[in-house]
Amino acid sequence: MANNAFAPINFSRRQWLGTAGGGLASVALAGALHAAEGAARGPLYAPRAKRVIQLFMNGGPFQADFFDPKPKINEFAGQRPDAVKLRTENATGGLMAVPYAFQKRGQSGLEVSDLLPKLSNFADDLCVIRSMYTDNPNHGPALFMMNNGTIAPLRPSMGSWFLYGLGSENENLPGYVVLCPGRPVRFAELWTNAFLPGAHQGTYINHSDLTPTKMLPYLRNPALDEPAQRRQLELLRKINEDHLAERGSDRALEARIQSMETAFRMQFAATDAFDISREPEATREEYGKSHFANACLLARRLAERGVRFTQVYYGDGQPWDTHRNHDELTRKLAADIDQPIAALLGDLNRRGLLDETLVVWGGEFGRTPTTESSDGRDHNHLGFTMWLAGGGVRGGMAYGTTDEFGFRAVADKVHVHDLHATILHLLGLDHERLTYRHAGRDYRLTDVYGHVVKELLA
Amino acid sequence: MGRIRDGILPLLLVSAAASIASAAPQMAEQHPTKEASEYFEKKIRPILVKHCYECHSGDAKKAKGNFVLDTREGLRKGGQSGAAIEPGKPEDSLLIEAVRYQGLEMPPKEQLNEELIDELVKWVEMGAPDPRSGKAAHVKNKIDLAEARKYWAFQHPKAVAAPQVEDPAWQGTDIDRFVQARREKEKLKPVGAADRVTLIRRVTFDLTGLPPTPEEIDAFVNDNSGSAWDVVVDRLLASPRFGERWGRHWLDVVRFGESSGKDRNIPYRYAWRYRNYVIDAFNADVPYDRFITEQLAGDLLPSKNAAEHDRLLIATGFLAIGTKGINTKEPEQFNYDQIDDQIDVTTRAFLGMTVACARCHDHKYDPIPTSDYYAMAGIFHSSETFSGVKRGKKSASDKALLTLAEPSKPSPERSAKIREYEERTQEIAKIESELAALKKMQKKGGQNAARKKANKNKTAQVPVVPVDMKQARDQQKKLNDRLDELEAMASPPGDFVMGVRDGSPGNSPVLNRGELKDKGPEVPRGVLTVLKTPQGNVGSKHSGRLELAHWIAAKDNPLTARVMVNRVWQHLFGEAIVPSTDNFGVLGDEPSHPELLDALALQFMNDDKWSVKRLVRSIVVSRTYQLSSEHNDGNFAVDPANKYLWRMERRRLDAEEIRDAMLAASGELDLARPEGSPVMDLPNAQIKRGKGLQDVKKPTNYRSVYLPVVRDNVSEVLQVFDAADPSLIMSKRDVTTVPTQALFLMNNPFVLKQSEQLARRILEDKSQTPAARIDMSYRLVLGRLPNEHERSNITKYLTEYRQSLDAANYKGNANLACWSSVCQTLFASGEFRYVY
Repeated sequence: MANNAFAPINFSRRQWLGTAGGGLASVALAGALHAAEGAARGPLYAPRAKRVIQLFMNGGPFQADFFDPKPKINEFAGQRPDAVKLRTENATGGLMAVPYAFQKRGQSGLEVSDLLPKLSNFADDLCVIRSMYTDNPNHGPALFMMNNGTIAPLRPSMGSWFLYGLGSENENLPGYVVLCPGRPVRFAELWTNAFLPGAHQGTYINHSDLTPTKMLPYLRNPALDEPAQRRQLELLRKINEDHLAERGSDRALEARIQSMETAFRMQFAATDAFDISREPEATREEYGKSHFANACLLARRLAERGVRFTQVYYGDGQPWDTHRNHDELTRKLAADIDQPIAALLGDLNRRGLLDETLVVWGGEFGRTPTTESSDGRDHNHLGFTMWLAGGGVRGGMAYGTTDEFGFRAVADKVHVHDLHATILHLLGLDHERLTYRHAGRDYRLTDVYGHVVKELLA
Repeated sequence: MGRIRDGILPLLLVSAAASIASAAPQMAEQHPTKEASEYFEKKIRPILVKHCYECHSGDAKKAKGNFVLDTREGLRKGGQSGAAIEPGKPEDSLLIEAVRYQGLEMPPKEQLNEELIDELVKWVEMGAPDPRSGKAAHVKNKIDLAEARKYWAFQHPKAVAAPQVEDPAWQGTDIDRFVQARREKEKLKPVGAADRVTLIRRVTFDLTGLPPTPEEIDAFVNDNSGSAWDVVVDRLLASPRFGERWGRHWLDVVRFGESSGKDRNIPYRYAWRYRNYVIDAFNADVPYDRFITEQLAGDLLPSKNAAEHDRLLIATGFLAIGTKGINTKEPEQFNYDQIDDQIDVTTRAFLGMTVACARCHDHKYDPIPTSDYYAMAGIFHSSETFSGVKRGKKSASDKALLTLAEPSKPSPERSAKIREYEERTQEIAKIESELAALKKMQKKGGQNAARKKANKNKTAQVPVVPVDMKQARDQQKKLNDRLDELEAMASPPGDFVMGVRDGSPGNSPVLNRGELKDKGPEVPRGVLTVLKTPQGNVGSKHSGRLELAHWIAAKDNPLTARVMVNRVWQHLFGEAIVPSTDNFGVLGDEPSHPELLDALALQFMNDDKWSVKRLVRSIVVSRTYQLSSEHNDGNFAVDPANKYLWRMERRRLDAEEIRDAMLAASGELDLARPEGSPVMDLPNAQIKRGKGLQDVKKPTNYRSVYLPVVRDNVSEVLQVFDAADPSLIMSKRDVTTVPTQALFLMNNPFVLKQSEQLARRILEDKSQTPAARIDMSYRLVLGRLPNEHERSNITKYLTEYRQSLDAANYKGNANLACWSSVCQTLFASGEFRYVY
């Protein structure tokens, strides 16, 4: 039997089914179903956040463009002082000036560059981590690190751990949704459940076509209309109940009956949740109408309906990977994210959801203050910025520091493992105790690393 | 002091941190002066406590690098990187080097500020006075092999006579007596036998993965002879469907997939040969010890003819079909990752041991030192793996494969493809010769340029051939691009094989922490020390694969037979005797019926001569297998998990069974084996979503085991119902119940199509009454007849649905629509997805 500290993970399914009595209409059926399939442990501490929205700037933005002002870069522009002779993916040249001004914003005076004028209005909500670092300067390994806590594939993703630890808040919708108007690099490996139960896999949705039935498979029956399907389901219920009466107590069968009902409802719940055409035009305009804006609005609709984790990849491939023409591309990218993120934070706040929804922004790594190909910036795993907002974090603060050129995190460094530990903590989970037994050992999202960064907590 | 904390280790096997160093340090030290002690206490100890103890103290969860500095001795002695300080010589002290981030970087999270570093330097200059007492804990783990061998799974199976049981009805087979004795001990009364319809449905699915036909059901139900059950079981064991079902179980365990997965995901165009080999091996009942040897070392076995040679070569695909990180930069890294996959699959599949855990450190729980891992790594390093893909290459290449000795006879369709390819081959040859010519010309051009330069200084002019270098370069690029394009296209099917052959034999060094750059001592090729027998001795002239295979497939290996009979038991009872089928190590589960496990293992090796079919037969003819799955309150209260088998556990059909059973019911199932695999028609390049993949996934009516298994793109019907992830070793699949499955059953075109086909089948005979049609649908989908209540529910539904269609002026075939809907409802029922 299991000897996991956190929960009886190896508790076999049939054992569990055995211990639970009760009839078909049992209240806890949904939860029971999850527990039976190896999930829904529930939080360990009082959670500060119930759900997470991650805005993933795939490709990697440059920290000193946005939240980590480094005047020394401009002062030494074109030069290559010893401090920047660091190895990243490719060879880089001298320092490349940052053409954006920074202002102190809000009551807190948090510094944000002029690239994000609308988001600046929410400076007092942002908990900026300037001292992030990760292990590898290549996209694949860094994406894996951010998603599953190792630099390799085949480990459960962060979202799968959330679902495994907490279950779903809404049985009518998938609990872990990945939105991208295309395919981020490494694709489904980024949201795999790996060896966790299959129900915890991320549901990938390409929302470049906003028709809900295009986003989720099997949502519509090509032949039967709703009343016909309802009638068919009624027949199915009778058949199943006869069978149940014949067999006596059978929890798994009850679960299956329930899942048909859930699916039937999901056809409509998902159609509703994923249909942003139901939003008032004013809201659509507040967000804007780019793919990223649509994803932010979808994320809010999903958060509102209890989806545990919504991950928004900014775009197809790795749009933030500005090896060339960095400044021009960054201006466009920044302009594209500014309004939607501001709208999302404002909208969540107005609906009273921001306090219980953790918003995470950042890439898989940052970029170099030095040039690559004369006008580009290379990958940088040594130091980069991410920010958190909402659900239980202190707003209006910047934590940690990079060196004078913003190349390398030097003080109060926060590894991705630490970020994971902190996010799990905010969700009420202990990263050291959220374990799963596989192939003879207990696995964790944070492997054997990670510290909760207490300074970030509200 | 010397707080010894192993904490995590079961002391039984690994006597971790058990001894305290007793020898006094070599260097006699004077006790520090009062001032020096004060300096230490005030300046140095706080630094050590705050910044180092977390990882380097007796209290640390694990002393990193085997280095502790919470005692004077520990600090003096150093860790695996060597002595930490040279008193008086900061420049030679590793500790100082580390805090200065020169080489080692300590503390790893954040460098100490300069002030603290200066204090440490000063302290070392002072001679590193250290007033602390206490001995350093020995943190090195030492594996006690003699002690380890006492573990149950490393002991040979013991022959124990089947016990006497009180209930005379359970005297039948040995299996029944072992199980019944345990039930009696637990005061459990088994439920009655299952009815015949349930039984034949159960055994037909369990042995062949398909439902019984109505005729087969009738034949069994009406057979009143005493041998009725034996007749059914023998028919199923002899059926070619047996290998398709049990072969699939094996394919789960050996991470079978038809593409390289991971980063590039390039097609493995010939992986299907191994799939067919496995299916055929189960059908031919190749003795399991031989089956092991063929997969590990088939290429090294003698063969009578070309066909046998080829079959044995294909078997070694076992070692080649794992995932590959094509983008890996270092060639040796790629090799060692591939070897890791080979060690992992070999030891988990055959031995139930997680040897791959010892790649970076000694196994934390089992007596497997890192040196054992690299002893085995040497064996695979001495072999060449041919998977059709190469590190760093964008496309698969037939050149990276082995070739069959006996040429195949392609079908006309395939022959046409070969002809088409011949044209491409000609173009490739042409481009290659043009490229060669260009290169020659460029070289000449370069010479000319040099000559031209030289001529400037000379009076006698050497004639210069004008060569436009830029034009040549452009042409070269154009040709190379076209070559890439041609190579990325699908090659025609050929007589290629994935597999291995011996390379140049040599040992592997231990790679400390798994790091290529940190090579330790070389270890001789070999097998696990804890279970070593002379069979595992590797000669200097061979890779050692054959020896490895013989050592695993030997009767005196205590794991091999146990692991396999345990797998077979799991597939027939839902839960194995040792539930952790891939882990018989210390962290695995204990057997629920240890004597039975041993008896089965001995019977398997000795009486049954490693015959899987005989093993399966002996289990399914037991009375225990034929128990009903009904509930019983009294038993349930004692043993809710049914660990002691007071009833049969009902089982959800697996993904392949669900699809195959729908096709069987609708009459659409094609029992032929397809030629090869659609993956053969994919381009050689990285698999992309789009037309190529759509063609691969084109619906077919073959059995599910023949559906292409492209990694990260497993067919959706299989994925929805928890098929094995082909990138992972899976010996037990999940059984989930998620709304996506329900949505699939409600709305997926495949389900709708099979429902309609089944309806057509039911409506085909125009003379049938509606009641007879309802009966037929039940028999085809659920194997049984409906009861009166069910009949009337469906009759009522048909009537009402028909009325609503008529009222809505339905334009299509209303009768077919109504019956299709009924058939779909039966497919969606809970009962269909389970065997009881």
